[in-house]
Amino acid sequence: MRILYLAYKDLLQIVQDWKSALFLLAMPLLFTLFFGFVFGATANSKPDIDPLLPVGVINQDQGNLAVSLEKLLEGSEVIRPVVLNEQEAARADQMVQDGDLAAVVTIPFGYTDQLLADQPILLDVIIDQSQPAGQTASRALDTVTGRLLGAVEAAHISVNTIKSQNGDTDPSNLQDSLAEALSAWEEPALTVTVEKATGGASKDGQASSAGGFAQASAGMMVQFSIFGLITSAMVLVLERKSGTLQRLLSSPMRRTEVISGHILAMFLVVFAQQLILAALGQLIFGVDYLRQPAAILLMIIVLAFWAASLGLLISAISRKEDQVITLSLIAMFIFAAMGGAWFPLEVAGKTFAAIGHLMPTAWAMDGFQNILLRGLGFQSVLMPAGMLLVYALAFFGLAIWHFRFE
Amino acid sequence: MNIMDVAYKDLKRVFRSPFALVMMFGAPLLIAGLLYFAFGGLINGGSSFSLAPTRIVIANLDQANSSTSTFKAGEMLIDFLKNEDLANILEITMASDEASARAMVDQQQADVALIIPVNFTQAALAPEQKAAVLLYQDPTLMIGPGIVKDLVNHFMDGFSGAKIAVKVTDIAVQRNGGQPDPDLSEKTSQQYAAYLSSASHAEALHLVSPSGQSGQAESRSAMIGPIMAGMLVLFVFFMGANGAQSIIREHEEGTLARLFTTPASALTILAGKFVGVFAALIIQTAVLLVVSALIFHISWGKPLSVVLATLGLVIAATGFGVMLMSFIKNTRQTGPILGGVMTLTGMLGGLFSNGIPNIPEVMDKVALTMPQGWAMHAWKLSLAGSIAGAMILPVLVLIILGALFFAIGLTLFRRRFV
Repeated sequence: MRILYLAYKDLLQIVQDWKSALFLLAMPLLFTLFFGFVFGATANSKPDIDPLLPVGVINQDQGNLAVSLEKLLEGSEVIRPVVLNEQEAARADQMVQDGDLAAVVTIPFGYTDQLLADQPILLDVIIDQSQPAGQTASRALDTVTGRLLGAVEAAHISVNTIKSQNGDTDPSNLQDSLAEALSAWEEPALTVTVEKATGGASKDGQASSAGGFAQASAGMMVQFSIFGLITSAMVLVLERKSGTLQRLLSSPMRRTEVISGHILAMFLVVFAQQLILAALGQLIFGVDYLRQPAAILLMIIVLAFWAASLGLLISAISRKEDQVITLSLIAMFIFAAMGGAWFPLEVAGKTFAAIGHLMPTAWAMDGFQNILLRGLGFQSVLMPAGMLLVYALAFFGLAIWHFRFE
Repeated sequence: MNIMDVAYKDLKRVFRSPFALVMMFGAPLLIAGLLYFAFGGLINGGSSFSLAPTRIVIANLDQANSSTSTFKAGEMLIDFLKNEDLANILEITMASDEASARAMVDQQQADVALIIPVNFTQAALAPEQKAAVLLYQDPTLMIGPGIVKDLVNHFMDGFSGAKIAVKVTDIAVQRNGGQPDPDLSEKTSQQYAAYLSSASHAEALHLVSPSGQSGQAESRSAMIGPIMAGMLVLFVFFMGANGAQSIIREHEEGTLARLFTTPASALTILAGKFVGVFAALIIQTAVLLVVSALIFHISWGKPLSVVLATLGLVIAATGFGVMLMSFIKNTRQTGPILGGVMTLTGMLGGLFSNGIPNIPEVMDKVALTMPQGWAMHAWKLSLAGSIAGAMILPVLVLIILGALFFAIGLTLFRRRFV
């Protein structure tokens, strides 16, 4: 009962401080909205916004192969050609540098004639391959130009065949064969179909329209479970600083009860925060937390326990309020960034991803993503929840080891 | 006591505070360092950047007619993916059927399942047949499945191209009075295969980086530079406000009132405090610029442009900090106000979205409604190697905004304390 009284006192202190609402709720919601918007959730949910990568085209040739290339680019599922006028062409380099265009393709003068004469000629492409958009555009351009050159080669083979059979050198043969080859490439014989393993997360087998927000919402829940600890860890530090913790020991309360009361308050704060954020994520951002409520609840419980253990550890090793803020911020940056709360670990380097997967936050993200993005069931969160629990116990043990009442 | 005495005392206090030191230097370098660690290899041009291999499970349902030909397109596709050159990026396992392959992706034992359809060989050979291979992928992954799709597409385009060559040649022969001939089709396919293995097929694009990014170091700078600039602006603005709160702290501790009893005028004391903040921010900016240039090899731009961007940033951050603190009643409010306002204005100012491709255009316009957005604009220009002339507009805006904020803050402080 004493534990509950102490936890209740801490909770009152936290709830009465208006700063708590800012750190626990307002900031994660703001960041979710921002990153969800930035990472294209809006584009996914609004069909009028084009998700294709814009690629500038400067057509200096104007021959029929240049026109065919533009048509092939228009048919791409990855890039969208944007024909640049003279003024825009002069700024092509800058537009790629600024990220306005993923690449700029210049079709040089004589491109058609050279290819028809079976002479090699290259397309000049300004592209920033250090950017994911540049790398994707590069691969798409490879596919498109491969098809164009394949059509030209098919036309050359047919013309050479006719020539070897009856000596016919009519130039219209090449144009006819080329037109047929280009037309055939509009529907190639072998294609790739992509299906995302979203399970029950969406009915049509495609990524949920809340896909961008699913990453951002879960990521910010994990990140701000740490940041939200600032106010609750501060309560403990202030109690130690003012001597209240020591005075508590002169009361009938035992040491374990004092610690239990404080960590219970921290747990309840994060637990309530996560519940509210999940509910708002469902209502505002359309992230389907209710698809597997029991699994989400389990993840929230273990995440709250881990965060509370971390909070206890921070308050155990902090002597001043400044230190609480500093350590909370550092913990937040490291655990959130390396655990995949800011961006999927898949896009980071091998070493970073390998280290990142060791973070407790990576297991938390795995658990949430199994439900929200992969559409899996309750069993899929048992492993992440178990691992998070192991981390929680380890942090709790460390906190107890370091805890001082004076 | 003169302005410099007050400024020096405040500076000493700032540089003795572990919290201030972490927020001035530790946090911006830590965040930029984490992102550099995550993507550093990528921006080195790919040579040292290695993604974790994509785990691919293949269910080959292809039923090639072995009695008529040894040609098995499904097996060829598998052999292509098992090629030694791809060993570092693909980890291949086989599944007996489609359901098992899908189950492996569902259970996260594989990233992608490649289902080769029953009529794959037929579609690769027979004139009017078509087939689609299925990629069943983990929805949380982007890069790995994209690479697999490109590789499979590249391989299949070879078959599709050969079929097109055969078809086009057959039509041409018929147009010229000939008859379709299986031997001719075989020959055409071989000619197309020879073309595919030739150098002329491999080279179609001449890729160049945007000017100023041709080298590896410039490419690295192009990515990490704006990220570090974002952190620089964020934490310089943060420290501007944090430094200005010394007025409120001294007021609460009673030392401000004691200062006003000295022969120094109130204006001198307030001015000294502002000079202290200004000097701290100059030191912070200079240290961050030098350290980040050394650690991350960032080329910040031409010296005069860097000086102008620094000046604009520090003036705007000092003014903004002073104004922000002039609205605050006590030090209990400073934490959340600092955190909340700096996060919100930093977010709108575009400090958190540097390096993210395809940001909606409206975000650029919104950014320029914030002083942080103008500071970021100035640093981006400097990073791009702009000359001082191009920096005039953003730096002028920053100075005007800084002066305006400063005037508002000073007026409110004078009304309150003097």
